[in-house]
Amino acid sequence: MKKVLNLIAEKIIFICGIVSIIFVVLIFSFLLKEGFSFFKHFGVLKFIGGHFWYPSSDSASFGVLPLIVGSVFVTIGACTIAVPIGVMTALFISEIVPKYIRDILKSLVELMAAIPSVVVGFIGMTTLVPLVKSIFNLPTGLTAFSGSIMLAFMAIPTIVTISEDAIRSVPYQYKQGALALGATKWQTLRRIILKAAMPGIIAAIMLGIGRVMGETMAVMMITGNAAHIPHSIFEPVRTMTATIAAEMGETVKGDMHYKSLFAIGLVLFLITFFINFIADLFLGKNKNT
Amino acid sequence: MVDKIKIENLSCYYNKKCVLEFLNLNVVKNEILGVIGPANSGKTTFLRTLNRMNDFDATYSKKGSVYLDDDDILDIDVETLRRRVGMLFAMPIPLPMSIYDNITYAPKRLGFVTKKIDLDNMVESVLRNVSLWDEVKDRLCVSAVKMSGGQQQRLCIARVLAINPEVILFDEPCSGLDPISTAKIEELMIGLKEKYTIVLVTNNVKQASRVSDRTAFFLMGKLIEVDKTGKLFVSPKKKETEDYITGRFG
Ligand SMILES: Nc1ncnc2c1ncn2[C@@H]1O[C@H](COP(=O)(O)OP(=O)(O)O)[C@@H](O)[C@H]1O
Ligand SMILES: [Mg+2]
Repeated sequence: MKKVLNLIAEKIIFICGIVSIIFVVLIFSFLLKEGFSFFKHFGVLKFIGGHFWYPSSDSASFGVLPLIVGSVFVTIGACTIAVPIGVMTALFISEIVPKYIRDILKSLVELMAAIPSVVVGFIGMTTLVPLVKSIFNLPTGLTAFSGSIMLAFMAIPTIVTISEDAIRSVPYQYKQGALALGATKWQTLRRIILKAAMPGIIAAIMLGIGRVMGETMAVMMITGNAAHIPHSIFEPVRTMTATIAAEMGETVKGDMHYKSLFAIGLVLFLITFFINFIADLFLGKNKNT
Repeated sequence: MVDKIKIENLSCYYNKKCVLEFLNLNVVKNEILGVIGPANSGKTTFLRTLNRMNDFDATYSKKGSVYLDDDDILDIDVETLRRRVGMLFAMPIPLPMSIYDNITYAPKRLGFVTKKIDLDNMVESVLRNVSLWDEVKDRLCVSAVKMSGGQQQRLCIARVLAINPEVILFDEPCSGLDPISTAKIEELMIGLKEKYTIVLVTNNVKQASRVSDRTAFFLMGKLIEVDKTGKLFVSPKKKETEDYITGRFG
């Protein structure tokens, strides 16, 4: 009897594992198939390097460069804001505040992560966008800059929770050892704890970047969605994710426009895959030492 | 005989619970003072009070005073105090960096050795002091975490020597080590007392009898007896001491 149960459990676990792998493979091969059939009609170089995204005009042009630049602008902007704030918050929570405040802060940060991105986008649209417009005296507040701020807000919880775990898993003995050698609390924090937690913190940052890259709703609502190559972060941009979400509805299944969106998806997939890969490298390194 | 450390009417508390009661004790310059006693008798608390490692524990509080060379330790800047009174823990804990960096970390930070050549010389001399030089001279840049337990503990001693302390506190330094490593460290401690004053907390009564000049016996937060090691082990004044050193409890 026990043997049979064991066998069944084993099989179920096996099937679940296989199913999730199959899903990933299916999604990826679907992306590849549609993407490649697009590249057959419209060259890869023209796609990656093209400056103009006019998918539905008569002489359609599928230059994805403005969208890539848009994504990169927003991502870099968001990271510049989110990384220092996130890491310092993690340090503050794990090493500086007393325990009862730590618990409150942690739940607040986790709550932040639970806000749906439409809500973040909506709040940003009604509060942040007018503010950016009036402060910087711009024609519109729907800019890469506003998008960066909102996305930073969404990446911070990821960065904080994972960095905090990394910082707190630094053995207590390292801290004690450094203090016993006459290091100040601050020196111990910076030279020993931060250093030992660095692989985990970098992984946290990478995952944060991944979150920013993949975010759709909030950026669509806030960045202005102009598909041109921006000259500064105070101009409207359009990201790859927003393009896919906004245009999927207007395409005819199977035509070039439809396929081009899959090609964008492929680019996006490769970028996030690459980021996750780097994060894994650092996380793996963390475990070995 | 000059007193290096004087402890006057010291009582220590965690969460108001008294774990060390009304302690009066001196540590003589260049002696090894052994501290023995069963677990939870307050030995670690006593040591951590001497270099104020307990300051970070919010539940800890103390009454009474500790003097280092006649200065109240509360009047000494806490980082300076910890430099003058170095500490070794039961678990050897090299910092997560190379052997070389483990030793130079503190002197560099404190700024009293900065030139590369001086650092190199210092690393060699402290490693020779703990007779580790021949074992590791070819792999100074290897992570210290890869050494054996006994080597790690000797590295930790070298690391403390590098900050040029006056007093060294050992908290059960051999509890995780094999007999051969233990013998090496005991030999080392005896050599070190020429230059340093040593307080050795140990759970191993025999070790105290081998190494220390005077021995103090703690029991449940009280100092029961302190005397020349020869005397304490041969003719203890208190019954509890006799019971403990003859292995009847603890
Ligand atoms: N950080 C702490 N918080 C609360 N109680 C503690 C702490 N450290 C030690 N104690 C208590 O103080 C007493 C003495 O402990 P300790 O000094 O570690 O003894 P020993 O080193 O002789 O085993 C024990 O009862 C222990 O439970
Ligand atoms: Mg102890």
